[in-house]
Amino acid sequence: MRRLIWHRLVQLPLVLLAVYTLTFTLAWLVPGSPLEKPEGRRPPPEVQAAMAERYNLDDPWTFYWSYLERASGVAWVTGETSGPIFDFGPSLRHENWSVNEILAGQLPVSMALGLAAIVIAVLLGVSTGILGGLRPGTTLDLVTQGLSVVGVSIPAFVVGTVLLLAGGVWTGWFPVGGWGDLAHMVLPATALSLPFAAYIARLTRSGVLDEMHSDYVRTARAKGLPERVVVLRHVLPNALLPVLSYLGPATAAAMTGSFVIEKVFAIPGLGMHFVDAVLGKDLTMIMGVVLVYATILVLMNLMVDVLHAWLDPRVRQAGVAHG
Amino acid sequence: MHRFLIPLLILIAALVAVRLMDDPAPPAEFTLASENEVFTLDPQRMSWLADMRLANALFEGLTAWNTDDFTMRPALARSWTTSPDGLVWTFNLRPDARWSNGDPVTAHDVIWSWRRLLLPDTAADYSNLLFDVQGARDFWSWRTEALADLPPDDLIAAAAQAETIETAFADMVGLKALDPHTLEVRLEQPVPWLLDQLAFAPLMPVHRPSVEGWPKTIDTSRGWHESTLPTIEERAFVRLDPNSGRIEQDPRWARPGTLVSNGPYVLTHWRYRRDIRLAANEMFDGPQDMPESVLVRSFPDPNTALMAFESGEVDWLTGVSADCRSDLLAQKDRGLRKTVHARPAFATDYFLFNCRDTLPDGRLNPFGDARIRQAFALATDKQAIVDHVTRLGEPLTGAFTPHGSIPGYTPPEGLGFDPERARALLDDAGWSDRDGDGLREDANGEPFPPVEILYTTSSARFRRIAAALRDQWQRQLGVTSRLVGQDSKFFGADRRKGNFMVARGRWYGDWGDPTTFLNMCRSSDGNNDGGLSCAAFDDLLDQAAAADEPAARLDLLAEAERVLMEEQLPLLPICQVVEVTMYDPDRFEGMTEHPRLVQYLHEIRPQVTQP
Repeated sequence: MRRLIWHRLVQLPLVLLAVYTLTFTLAWLVPGSPLEKPEGRRPPPEVQAAMAERYNLDDPWTFYWSYLERASGVAWVTGETSGPIFDFGPSLRHENWSVNEILAGQLPVSMALGLAAIVIAVLLGVSTGILGGLRPGTTLDLVTQGLSVVGVSIPAFVVGTVLLLAGGVWTGWFPVGGWGDLAHMVLPATALSLPFAAYIARLTRSGVLDEMHSDYVRTARAKGLPERVVVLRHVLPNALLPVLSYLGPATAAAMTGSFVIEKVFAIPGLGMHFVDAVLGKDLTMIMGVVLVYATILVLMNLMVDVLHAWLDPRVRQAGVAHG
Repeated sequence: MHRFLIPLLILIAALVAVRLMDDPAPPAEFTLASENEVFTLDPQRMSWLADMRLANALFEGLTAWNTDDFTMRPALARSWTTSPDGLVWTFNLRPDARWSNGDPVTAHDVIWSWRRLLLPDTAADYSNLLFDVQGARDFWSWRTEALADLPPDDLIAAAAQAETIETAFADMVGLKALDPHTLEVRLEQPVPWLLDQLAFAPLMPVHRPSVEGWPKTIDTSRGWHESTLPTIEERAFVRLDPNSGRIEQDPRWARPGTLVSNGPYVLTHWRYRRDIRLAANEMFDGPQDMPESVLVRSFPDPNTALMAFESGEVDWLTGVSADCRSDLLAQKDRGLRKTVHARPAFATDYFLFNCRDTLPDGRLNPFGDARIRQAFALATDKQAIVDHVTRLGEPLTGAFTPHGSIPGYTPPEGLGFDPERARALLDDAGWSDRDGDGLREDANGEPFPPVEILYTTSSARFRRIAAALRDQWQRQLGVTSRLVGQDSKFFGADRRKGNFMVARGRWYGDWGDPTTFLNMCRSSDGNNDGGLSCAAFDDLLDQAAAADEPAARLDLLAEAERVLMEEQLPLLPICQVVEVTMYDPDRFEGMTEHPRLVQYLHEIRPQVTQP
C-alpha cells in the first residue's frame, strides 16, 4: 500500500510535465494572440509587438521554459521570484489578476459545487438503486430505471434552464444565478447531480441484484437472519463497491466538468473560465488550470485506491501479495 | 456497513469546509448585469466598452459628455481656452477636485497619467490617442529605441534610462502644468475632436502614488508633485524587468483597498468575473439622487441574465440575449413590455470586400475590381435582410458612419438596391452569362469563382445574414457563394491576413468624429484588412486634417466617405447596429438614448416606487 502511494507520488511530476508539454503545444498552435480582440480596433503594430514581447508571446521556447520554471517552483527555490512557490503568472486576458489568485478564488467554488452534486447523487442514486434492486421488475423499479435514463440523457443546459425557470423565475424560491448563499447552491447542484445519480442508481441496482443471488446471501437467509440484516450487513457492503470505485472519477468529473452548469447558473467556478481561457488563448490561465486539474485527478484516483483497499480485503491482500 | 458512510462523510466535510470560505456580496441600490466581462479597471489599459463604463464611474476626465446630444461639458476642467490656430489649449482644473483619499487632483496628475498612456512600457491599446500632442510620437519612439538599445539583464543601465524619462518627457512633449490647476496642451495639428477625446477613459487621470504603490510615509496631501519621488525599489507596484529594462506595472493596484479614484464612485468589491461593487465617493460632489451603491454582476449566459432580470434581481440588463431580442421587441410593439428598449448604436454592421487582386494562396480575387464590389452592393436588398433576417428594425445604411450620430456631419447616401445596374456593372467588368447556363463567365469561359463569405459562428445573426447575401447574389447576379463559418480566433487571423473574399465586420466608433470610422479604410491603417489602397480617399482625409474651418473639414470628410461608399466600396454596410437593453422606466430615470450609448451610472435616478 505504502509502495503504491509512493509510486503515484513519484509519477506525479512526470505526469504533470507530460501534460504541461502537450497542453502547451496544443495551446500555442491555436491561431491569434491572447492580447488581441476578436474584432474592433487594433492597436498600432509597434504596440502589439511591445505587448507580445512583454508576455514572451514572441517566442514559444522562452515562454515554455520561463513558465515551467515559475510554475514548477524551481524559480522560487533558486530565489529568482519572491512570489508564491508555484507561480502561474498573470492572466493574459484578465491582467488585473494572477492565475494563482483566480485559482484560489474559483477552485473552491467548483469544488463546493461538485461535492454538493456528488453528495446529492449518492443519496439519490443509492436509495433508488436499492429500491429497484430489491424489487426488480416492479413498477417502482421501472420508474426509477426510466428516470435514470432520463437523468443521463437530458443535456445539462436544458435541466439547468428548466430548474432556473421553475425554481427561480416562476416561484421565486431560489435566486436566479449567482453564488454565495446555500440557496444559490440548491438548483445548480441538483442539476449537476442528475447524470451522476442516474449512473450510481444503475450501479447500485445491478450490484444489489447480483449479490442477492449469491451463495453467501442464501446461507445468511438459511441461518434465519431477518431480511433487513441480510441486506444491510451482507448485500450492501459488497453491492456498493462498484459505486465506491466510481466515486473517485465522478467527484473529479463533477468538480472539473461543471462548466455548462456554471455558465447557465452564472457561478464563478473554474470550469467555465477554463473554457473561456481556451477560446481566448489565455496561455498562462490554460496551463495553470490544466496543471491543477491534473494534480487533482491523480490525487483523487490515489485516494480512491487507498479507500478501496481499506474497504475491500480482497484488494488489500492482493496489494500486499504483489508488493 | 458503517465504513461505507466514511466516504460520504469525507465528501460532506469537504463541502462544508469550502462553503465556509465564501460569502455573498451585499445588495446594492442599483444592480446591472454585464453581458461582457470586465477585463481591467486600469483606465490607460482599457479598450473594452464594459471596462470603460466602470472607468466613467470611478474616474473623471477633463471633460464629460452631455449624454442626450453628446456635446461636451466641463468635468475635471471647469473651463478652457484655445489659441486662434487651435494648437494651444489651456485647461483650468477645478481647484476643489479631490482623490478619494483626500489628495488634490492636479494638472500633474493628468500629465503623469498621459505619460503613462504614452510610454511603450504600458503597451496601451490607445497609446496613439495622444500622438497629435506636440512631441508625443517622438517621445514614444525615443523610449522604444532606448529600450531596444539596452543591454539585456542590465538592471543598472535600465534604471539609469528610466531615470531620464521624467526630464525627456518634460523636454519633448507639449504638456505643461502652468500651476497645479492649469494645464497647457500644445498640439502638432488642430484636433477638432479633442474635447470629445478628453472624456474618453484612457485619458482619465489616475493617482500616481497609489498606482505606483508609494510608501505610506510619504505625505501627498498637497499633491504628490510637492514631495520627493521615492526610488523605483521603494514603489511597491512598479519594478524594472531585468530582461527588457521596461517598467512593469503590478496590476494589483486596481483593486479594492488600493484603487484611489476621483470620480463619482469608489471600488469596494471586485471578485474575478463574479461581481464588482461601487459605493458613492464622499470626495465627489455628485447628484443628490444618484444610486449610493452599484453592483455589477457577471452573467456569462445571456439567457440567465434575462431570467435574473425577470425575477427582479437585476435592474438593468445591458445587453439582451440574441435569441430573444426580436421576440421581446415584438412584445414591446404589442404594448406587453415597456421594459425593453432598442437603441441604434454608434456602430455599423458590414461585410468587408477583399480589395486585393489575388488571395494569399494565389487564387484570383474578382473583388479587386471596384465595379464588382459596387455590383455586389447594388444587388443587396438590405430592407429584406432587416425585415426577415435580423428582425430588429435596424436603420438601413449605405454609409459607414451612422446617420445622426455626429453633430454637423451628414454621411452620404451610398448605393441603394438596384439589381439592373448591378448586372450591367458585372457585364461591364467582363463577367456575363456567355453559355446561357444562368452563371457568369469571363471572356475565356472561366466561371465566376464561388464567393467565399467568411463569418463568425459566435452568433446565429451573422450566419443568417451571410446566407441571405448568398441567396440574393445568386438570384440577382447569377454567382454562387460558399459560406465559411469560423470561430472568432480563426476568423480574426484569416481576416487580418486577407484570407477571404467577403468577411463580416462590425465597427464601433470611439470618438465623435467621422475619422473614427473612415480611418479604418486608409491604405496605411493597421485595421485596413480589406487592403483598400485609394489615393484619392487618403488625399481627402489629409486635406481634411489640414483644414482650418470645422465645417469645411466635415465637408471634406463627407466627400471622402462618398468616394468610399459610392465608388470604392471596400465594404458593404448593411445596417446600423441596434442594442437591446432592459430596464423599468418607472423605476429608473436618466438612461441615455443617444447612439453613443455611454451611460454614466451616477446620472441614473432611482424613482421612489409606488406602493
